[in-house]
Amino acid sequence: MNIDGNENEAKLKILSSSSDEGCATFSISEEDHTLANALRYMIMKNPKVEYCGYSIPHPTEAKVNIRVQTSEETTAVEAMNKGLDDLIELCEHILVEYNEKLDLKNYKYDEGVFDTENKA
Amino acid sequence: MNDISLSAITGFDSGPTVQLKELESDHIKFSLSNVDLSVANGIRRAMIADVPTMAIDLVEIETNTTVLTDEFIAHRLGLIPLTSTDVDKNFAYTRECNCTDYCNLCSVELNLNVKCTEDRTMEVTSRELISQNDNIVPVTIDDQDPGILIAKMRKGQELKLKCIAKKGTGKEHAKWSPVCGVGFDYDPYNKLRHTTYWIEDDEKTEWPLSENAKEEQPPIEGEPFDYNAVPNKFYYKFETTGSMEAKDVVLSSLNILQAKFDELRNELKREQNMNQYN
Repeated sequence: MNIDGNENEAKLKILSSSSDEGCATFSISEEDHTLANALRYMIMKNPKVEYCGYSIPHPTEAKVNIRVQTSEETTAVEAMNKGLDDLIELCEHILVEYNEKLDLKNYKYDEGVFDTENKA
Repeated sequence: MNDISLSAITGFDSGPTVQLKELESDHIKFSLSNVDLSVANGIRRAMIADVPTMAIDLVEIETNTTVLTDEFIAHRLGLIPLTSTDVDKNFAYTRECNCTDYCNLCSVELNLNVKCTEDRTMEVTSRELISQNDNIVPVTIDDQDPGILIAKMRKGQELKLKCIAKKGTGKEHAKWSPVCGVGFDYDPYNKLRHTTYWIEDDEKTEWPLSENAKEEQPPIEGEPFDYNAVPNKFYYKFETTGSMEAKDVVLSSLNILQAKFDELRNELKREQNMNQYN
């Protein structure tokens, strides 16, 4: 269940009007700019993709529509999949980078509130 | 991780880099380079609205003879930060929990029972909240910290109540946000002209440079506008409410973003399989 309590709604719906696999609209519930804008950027980075854009149809409805149109070399679903894979890899890379920098310990640090050992 | 393949995807010269500048338990300053604005903003948004913490969500008032109304006190209690390290793993959302109302797996009970018997003003603070779970307690900086003021009482007044703290995220209510005042800055010289400064007479005196400007190349006088330029270095700076360690907020937000993408990838697969059998 999500915050709004609508249990039955699918997380992802593919809306495609034609039999053309090169274009599709992905309707994602319970997501916003946090996910959609990054995903839009990553799909657009794929040279086989001709167009990718997103919109939030109504501000009080937690839903985003992502439109993908590709050239004939790939399908919209494949482009979406690649976008997601690339973003997961990107996040992984940032995580590794961040953890490396944390391990270097070349910053000032004070346990403060979280100093459980010296706290009664 | 392969830097070269990643830079080929993202279109930047190298993979993303992180520079950690300041780190304290409740404060962090770092920069993130070679990522797109949309990704950097996604991280900022995830830190504010998607990192779960615990906060008081239900208040059962038994006695309230203070001058403050029940709902006023309930609201104040909700805003008190509770230590929420590893809440992500250790608690379930009440709406997803198997219990009918709430239970130990999705909530923590805190009790408050104070009565003023002395002939002077008594201050009720977050220190008087007694938690049933040692890991989820009101935030205090040290032993000298007086705690957060909830109400003031005169002689004879009493406040007795039961609070239920639940897990939640900032997108539902700001009380669950682990951060306060997230600084997010890029292009301190405004070379990209993403901002138009409101000025009276002179931009330079009215809009002092950000401290991040020392890390960037100053613009050359009379330089033509580069309309192909994109921002690639983002400066983050924030404080936590005390509910989580600053370094963990960043880690958690990245993990949450990754989980969002992963969930979508699985949904896409499921949708595909369904279509095959139809």
